[in-house]
Amino acid sequence: MAPLTCTKLSVITITGVIIQIIGLSLFVFGFFPVKPALPGTSGSESFYAPTCDFVGNLSDTTLPSDQLKSLYQELSGIPPSFDRLILMVIDGLPAEFVLGKNGKPPNKQFKEGMPYTQSLLASGSAIGYHAKAAPPTVTMPRLKAMVSGAIGGFLDVAFNFNTQAMMDDNLLGQFFRIGWKMVMLGDETWIKLFPRLFERHDGVSSFYVKDTVQVDQNVSRHLGDELWKDDWNLLILHYLGLDHVGHIGGRSSVLMVPKLKEMDEVVKLIHSSINQSQGNRRGRALLVIVSDHGMTENGNHGGSTYEETDSLALFIGLRNHVFDYAPVIKQIDIAPTLALLFGVPIPKNNVGVMIREAFDSLKEDQHLRALELNAWQLLRLLHAQLSGLPCRNFPCDAFYDHQSSDSSECNHTTENMLCCLYMEAAALYTSWKSKRGFESSSNKDYRSTAAAYYKFLKSASEWLSRRTTDKPVKVLVLGLATMFISSVMLSNLMFCRLREIYHGGKQQASNLNDSMNGWSFDETFIISVVLILVTCMTSSSMVEEEHYIWYFFISTFYLLLLRKTAQSLSSVGLQSSFPMQKGKSGEGYFRICCIFLLLISGRILRGWHQGGVNWTSLPDISKWLEQAGSQYVKPLQLISAILVISIGLFALFSIESKGKYFQMVRLIFLISGLLVLLHITRYQDFTFSSTNYGATLLVQIIYAILGATTIGTVVALPWLIPLSTSKISPTDNTISPPFFPSIQEKFPLVEFRDSLYVIGWAYILCWCLLQLLLQQPINTTPILLLLLQTVASVLYFLRSGTHHKEWVEIAGFYYLGMAGHFALGNSNTLATIDVAGAFIGISNHSTFLSGILMFVITYASPMFILLSLVMCISTKSMAHLVIPEKENAGDLLMMMLGFPCLVPLVINSILLTAYTVVLLLMQNHLFVWSVFSPKYLYVCATTVCTFIGVFIVAATGSYTYFVLAKRKQKACTRVYSTCSS
Amino acid sequence: MEESEKSSQSTISSFQVFSIHVCRGLALAKPENCSYLKAISRGLLGLPVGALLNALGALALGAPVGLQYFERTISWTLLMSSLTFVPTACVYGSCWTDWHRIFACTKPKGPLDFMLCLPAHGAVIGAWFGAWPMPLDWERPWQDWPICVSYGAVGGYVAGMVGSLALALMRTGGKQLKAE
Repeated sequence: MAPLTCTKLSVITITGVIIQIIGLSLFVFGFFPVKPALPGTSGSESFYAPTCDFVGNLSDTTLPSDQLKSLYQELSGIPPSFDRLILMVIDGLPAEFVLGKNGKPPNKQFKEGMPYTQSLLASGSAIGYHAKAAPPTVTMPRLKAMVSGAIGGFLDVAFNFNTQAMMDDNLLGQFFRIGWKMVMLGDETWIKLFPRLFERHDGVSSFYVKDTVQVDQNVSRHLGDELWKDDWNLLILHYLGLDHVGHIGGRSSVLMVPKLKEMDEVVKLIHSSINQSQGNRRGRALLVIVSDHGMTENGNHGGSTYEETDSLALFIGLRNHVFDYAPVIKQIDIAPTLALLFGVPIPKNNVGVMIREAFDSLKEDQHLRALELNAWQLLRLLHAQLSGLPCRNFPCDAFYDHQSSDSSECNHTTENMLCCLYMEAAALYTSWKSKRGFESSSNKDYRSTAAAYYKFLKSASEWLSRRTTDKPVKVLVLGLATMFISSVMLSNLMFCRLREIYHGGKQQASNLNDSMNGWSFDETFIISVVLILVTCMTSSSMVEEEHYIWYFFISTFYLLLLRKTAQSLSSVGLQSSFPMQKGKSGEGYFRICCIFLLLISGRILRGWHQGGVNWTSLPDISKWLEQAGSQYVKPLQLISAILVISIGLFALFSIESKGKYFQMVRLIFLISGLLVLLHITRYQDFTFSSTNYGATLLVQIIYAILGATTIGTVVALPWLIPLSTSKISPTDNTISPPFFPSIQEKFPLVEFRDSLYVIGWAYILCWCLLQLLLQQPINTTPILLLLLQTVASVLYFLRSGTHHKEWVEIAGFYYLGMAGHFALGNSNTLATIDVAGAFIGISNHSTFLSGILMFVITYASPMFILLSLVMCISTKSMAHLVIPEKENAGDLLMMMLGFPCLVPLVINSILLTAYTVVLLLMQNHLFVWSVFSPKYLYVCATTVCTFIGVFIVAATGSYTYFVLAKRKQKACTRVYSTCSS
Repeated sequence: MEESEKSSQSTISSFQVFSIHVCRGLALAKPENCSYLKAISRGLLGLPVGALLNALGALALGAPVGLQYFERTISWTLLMSSLTFVPTACVYGSCWTDWHRIFACTKPKGPLDFMLCLPAHGAVIGAWFGAWPMPLDWERPWQDWPICVSYGAVGGYVAGMVGSLALALMRTGGKQLKAE
């Protein structure tokens, strides 16, 4: 086989990456459909039984709104129970705060926080439900679910920050069509979802997470006016403050109870105004208090734990009803309930079931009629989703042909079962209607009919909401195949490189250590990590607790290194005649110290956040510190920050150079470090932070300085570094073996390594400072520990020289980065993404910028490791790998950059492809949306992170190299020309 | 209740294992011309040292820290020490070369080394694999801290024993064949 050249290598790598990107995007768009929905909106046809020809409703749309309203009323046969609706959304309020959990009353402080609401609940005039929200528990998809009754696609999360107008059939559109006037106060997501529907609106942005006061005042300031006015039919209030309180301080934040009190005051105000206006021209009003989602103990949301999905639905104004403990409904049940109560057609894609208690005040026939309407709507949806619905030629034939549905047909498939249930209910309803005149059996029949209807509705709703949508199998397979090809390409490339270096060069390298050529235990381990990880990812529990795997692997890896060091340690001790024995065993002890540092800091990192899903309640260091109070957290944070900055500056100073430019780089990093410290001490308050102009400005200045310095260093350093034959090398590189003089003459190796060293540290320092600024205060110490771990492993590998193959080192680094990812508190649920940090230093709302910041915060550790690879490369001495006879520029570059770029790409592509297969296999698993899909999003983001990191490494390396080579060439020709002249 | 019972069980078993080991160590040590007393005292000294090393290793790998786990960790480390350290300590005492040969390089020579090396490595590897079910949410009592790890260690130890026995038999068999 022809040897790989640098061009060939890079071309194949780039092709592989591009193919992988294409495959990944094919798969993602195939697997996460944006949202499958029935087109159009429900009209008057929804009050007739489903028939074959759905063309009767075209005339509806042209009707003026008041005529349409009376038409609907006439057709539905249910007089609307209310004239006005007040929908109060309290963002992020867990139902547990109001209704308690498992039949127990809520926490005492929360109960006392909402005295008025609790009294309403106790007297029965408010009916409360635990409304189970579907994941992802993020505001926009939840709002859509509440108004349309449909369960949105998973990728709605991605669009949460890019809200677009809602085109599907929904309650607000239906209300608008019958001429309702609507007013919206609060979260501007509503205005983006329904741009032209509101008569008046005052939107507040949900993006300033640190503001907990002004957001709600901006809603409440209009409340008095609006309640007094009588021109609206629907008033939407969306309070964001409680969610913000949660994001900042978690469930048990000191701000929580005052916020609940504030909400209680609002409820009291609205309820008393409803009571006053009872019976006058403003009409009967229904107050519905809902929350879009709950929150975890830390106040985050997005996942599917009980804490996050436990949202509230509270109806005030219905017939009194006291529960022993609040029943559980689904959040989507709110939509059909409201539609039927207010006499509009149920939205077309609704999957919800009307709430029983809401119709208590209706007469029996009206109640059954409402059930029938809901059943018809669900049947239409079922029919659309199941073209083979075997309901006896449904919908063309008559329904009442129930003799033909044999009982044997009933139990075969879900479709048959649903069909049977429907037929049964419909038959009971007809017989009830025919017997209505006779008083005798009417009540019993009514009850059994209602029960049959509910049974059908419940099971149909269950089936529809669980049903995974049809996926384009071809696209998925194509995407998977493309990803597979690219990972095979990349791994093949890496094995070619391995063979070339470690086997092709065997003759020359015979003087090297034995372990260079043998297949040693740590290499087997590195490979088995990937295999074990892939196997573990098929289990949902292991996906939830993935961090344990990484911690376990990384510490096992270090223990193996320890063993290896011990091996070499006394093999020197045995050959006591060896002249360099003393120095070498000193080296060994130094390496052992490095490993102990790695192990200890790894253990502390592991204990810092109790991540995952099942064991989050166990004590960990961060909880312990937070309980101890900010007087402990703050000094710790400051000390860690100062240590991080001084380690970085020390490393930058350790290179001895005279150039003015170096001094400037150091000075600027010192200044920005001081600015970050200033920000920490002055603005990063622990619980009470608000949008502060000074803070934002300071952060923006820091961003600008860091960005300019880093880019400036990268671009200018190769041009400015003094070219000379004298040795300039990092101080910790004193034991580098002598270079081949010919290489040193031809290639600017020393300068190359020096500039990569400085650039690498510039990257590291810049990234660390950014993290100090953005991460939560509690995460400052983990950043310090991560930095220590990186430095320790670089030193370890530097000192161990050729004991380890380079790819093992790089893979070790990559694993270290993944373990650090979880040590910073991340997990495989969307709930742990730090939303609050994503708005630091952003003065006006920008989805793009806060998205980038969120990525920077979440992928702090993997990116950090990839960036530190630049520094790692510079400490390696590649001289022993260069084959003197065929030295050329490309080969050298390939030696330096080959593995640092290939190894992360290969590991990541194998994991990505394997996980894609897992996701495909698990697509009917119960936890596919709650466990496997979020994990897949994380895997995709890790892929992006790896691409970016590798690109930075490769680009920096090649740019520096080519600039230096050009300068060297010029210098050489100048020397020659002076000689010849 | 159950947990404390388990931990006391494992303590008892660790002492039993320890005594078995001392006996075995004695049996092995005989050809080396060591006195039994010396071997026993070496084993007794090796027990806490090995326990300490095992505890450090387990903590580095993520064993829970805390007072409520203290007793369990101690009994587990005693068990591990008696599976891994004590036999070698009985036979070789504190001779660094032998320790290095057996544990760092895994280059046993002769059946005696195999009898020491394979079970000890088996116990460590078994314990490593035994830790895997711990983070899962099966909510079984045996998922608690040292229990499944101990099971894994004992399992690996037994496997190592069998393996070393087989190897030793094969070696001797091979030698005899060669001799013939």
